[in-house]
Amino acid sequence: MNPFREDLVSRSRPEPCTVVIFGATGDLTHRKLVPALYNLAVDGELPTGVKIIGFARRAKSDEEFRTGLEELNRKVSRSGHNDEIWKNLVENIFYHESEFTDPDGYRRLAERLAAIDEERGGKGNHLFYIASAPEFFDDILTQLKAAGLSQAKEGCWSRVIVEKPFGTDLATAKHLNEVVNATFHESDTYRIDHYLGKETAQNLMVLRFANAIFEPLWNSKYISHIQITCAENLGMEGGRGGYYEKSGALRDMVQNHLLQLLSLVAMEPPTDLSADGVRDEKVKVIRSLRQWDTPEKVAANVIRAQYTAGHIDGAAVPGYREEDRVSPESKTEAYVAVRLLIDTWRWSGVPFYIRMGKRLPKKSTEISVHFKDAPDVLFGALTGGVPGGNVLVIRIQPDEGISLRMVSKIPGTSLRLEPVKMDFHYSTSFGKSSPEAYERLLLDAIAGDATLFARRDEVEEAWRFIDHIENAWHKSDNPPPMAEFVAGSWGPREADDLIKRDGHAWRRL
Amino acid sequence: MSTLLNSVETCPELGIEVPVALIDKELRKLWEEDDAQTNASLMNLVVYSEKKGSLVENSAIVRDLTREHACRAILASIDRTVTEPSLRAWITAHCHMANGTKSVCCEQIAFHLTGRVTGRFRNTVFAHLNSDLPLIFWWQGELSDVFTERLVSVIDRLIVDSSAWKNPAAAFEQIVEASQLNSDLVLQDLAWTRSWQFRVGIAALFDDAVAQEALPAIDRVKIVHHPDHRNSAIQLLAWLAVQAGWKGDTIAADGSFRFESKAGVTINGLLQADSDAAPLGEVELASKEVIVSLVRQKGAAHLLKKIEAAGYSANSLSPSDPDDAPELIALQLSRGGKNSLFQKILPRFRKLL
Repeated sequence: MNPFREDLVSRSRPEPCTVVIFGATGDLTHRKLVPALYNLAVDGELPTGVKIIGFARRAKSDEEFRTGLEELNRKVSRSGHNDEIWKNLVENIFYHESEFTDPDGYRRLAERLAAIDEERGGKGNHLFYIASAPEFFDDILTQLKAAGLSQAKEGCWSRVIVEKPFGTDLATAKHLNEVVNATFHESDTYRIDHYLGKETAQNLMVLRFANAIFEPLWNSKYISHIQITCAENLGMEGGRGGYYEKSGALRDMVQNHLLQLLSLVAMEPPTDLSADGVRDEKVKVIRSLRQWDTPEKVAANVIRAQYTAGHIDGAAVPGYREEDRVSPESKTEAYVAVRLLIDTWRWSGVPFYIRMGKRLPKKSTEISVHFKDAPDVLFGALTGGVPGGNVLVIRIQPDEGISLRMVSKIPGTSLRLEPVKMDFHYSTSFGKSSPEAYERLLLDAIAGDATLFARRDEVEEAWRFIDHIENAWHKSDNPPPMAEFVAGSWGPREADDLIKRDGHAWRRL
Repeated sequence: MSTLLNSVETCPELGIEVPVALIDKELRKLWEEDDAQTNASLMNLVVYSEKKGSLVENSAIVRDLTREHACRAILASIDRTVTEPSLRAWITAHCHMANGTKSVCCEQIAFHLTGRVTGRFRNTVFAHLNSDLPLIFWWQGELSDVFTERLVSVIDRLIVDSSAWKNPAAAFEQIVEASQLNSDLVLQDLAWTRSWQFRVGIAALFDDAVAQEALPAIDRVKIVHHPDHRNSAIQLLAWLAVQAGWKGDTIAADGSFRFESKAGVTINGLLQADSDAAPLGEVELASKEVIVSLVRQKGAAHLLKKIEAAGYSANSLSPSDPDDAPELIALQLSRGGKNSLFQKILPRFRKLL
């Protein structure tokens, strides 16, 4: 018990620990993880005595490893690069060369950690961050267990962060969960979804439950439908085609990030803000999704598409099947639109629409809540009628913020109505930049707060929903067709028809 | 006419002078001139000063503050050397590019008052607040007769700097009395803000098992401070005593403090003034086995945190608190909250003064 922590900050207490990063020579470590730790140090949030061990296969000295990290940190760090802070941090960064499958490498790691713990009076907390290629997840976890590293000493903790993809379907996710849970206790397992670390995603619960005006309207009586859009203007640049061919839009984005956003939008108020309090409610949403469990249901509720050659920002771009590392015969979707129904009292009859696509006109992720129209007895007879209903938009990225569309009278002697928008921009109202998602999530893991991490049942329920769609696409005799759209447009006509059938239209971003 | 007003009239920093009755109308005109600008405001920020030349100085400070804290700023300057009542007003907007694309602007109204001002000042300020937004009131310098219960009753957050007061005990007494009608008032003392990173640093050091085990045996506390910042040092000492459960509060003949820990250990608290030190230069908590220390060199941007024990040493850097008031205000505004910790230590601090 540290009495000086009391009343100091309203967050869980990050404790001194050693962070071991598997896949330490990779892009994620260099571009995200170490800059995140550096920025935590800049802000004074990183506990004194944190040490970082990079575990990877390539032969490297500590110095070479540190130099590579410094080069990238200078380029990407949110708060710039301060030599004094870096010097202090880098003294605590080490490189550990080993194959992921080599027991001796883990034995040596255990010795190294024991030596560090010994300096701390025999006590040591360990955070293992698995940022390697997914095919090594099993091996790393198994070897950690065999080396006794998953077991914390009394009064200490041993935690694991697992990067996405957490499986490629329900069976692989279950298998991975079995391996993880055979190694670490579920409460020490942190499945990372960096979307949950974004400021606006965190603000969703605040918006809903700290403002009395929204929650009474947040149900099927007042809401017509909800759209979640994740648009990307990039395609398969930088060799991404190889990875994307194996995943596709549904598995890459919908299974994790977008279903997480959906659960935050649709969840019931949790009983408290504890990790399980929040996650209990989130998983109920995913569990209540109506399953599109036949090819016919998938065809009626899900649209997949690939882009053909087109233009974005005035520049010509290739079609999906012409992209680097993409098969000309590819059956992988670069766009997906899903109509979802949540079978709960609150959401009965309210469709949710998720769309995610590459090579759309611009980069934007947002949630739009479309309210039902007011009764038209008063203004329905006006020329032009009442222009649309109220829409609450929560912009996740870029230009994070919230806007509310409402109807207003145009000034003048006649009665004419036009939609107007009330807009809140984070950048305008709060000049200070938000921490990167990885900063928040790493700190939470060090502090033992799993609220913003996915729990086992959330992941498996999400895969259960996604698997039906994947099976209809790739394993049925009569798979729903692959639609096409021109790169730089807002997706295929079939997706417009999907939402139009319910009497709605995609929001123009 | 005072020299202050002469200089104000020719200073573009304050914007255009307008009749007080037309302030709202003139502000609207200001926005109509350029519809590409966004008017942003999260709070009413009133900056009050009785120092000559403060309007121009404070306008420059507010211009910087509005980069991160969108507000309607109301600057008030009182000239007590002129007995004839007068009231003049200027309006301007501070605009900054947000994300390099959008011009975001904050309104500023500057008032200059002479003569008896108590009621006029209060009415003038209240008439120009943005409704529904909190009122942050930055009182600069010594409290005066303008600081009344009625003024305090409408303030959400009162910011003062006790290091500027000749008699902090009397000033805190005045604040406590004036805030009887406003139990929701959040009091923020910049002297307390100056110790924020030291407090965070101490808490972080005692997360370490070695330091934590040594806490019951701590018998010496030393705080080195600049002579102008004794209040920050006393507040920090009060915080240590309150959080660690030290009782006693005896002040020895040599000016040092004596506490008794829960374990019955006598703790000697020493405040050491050093004109070459940073506002807070060093905090050291020591037992016979362990020394936990935080050091900030004058002007340094970082604190050096250390734990030293037999066979064990850990050190790290963390950010330091800024020295000047505008940056401290910016930090205060970023943190928000009820400042309940300050309320908790305030009685102990007043006892140690």
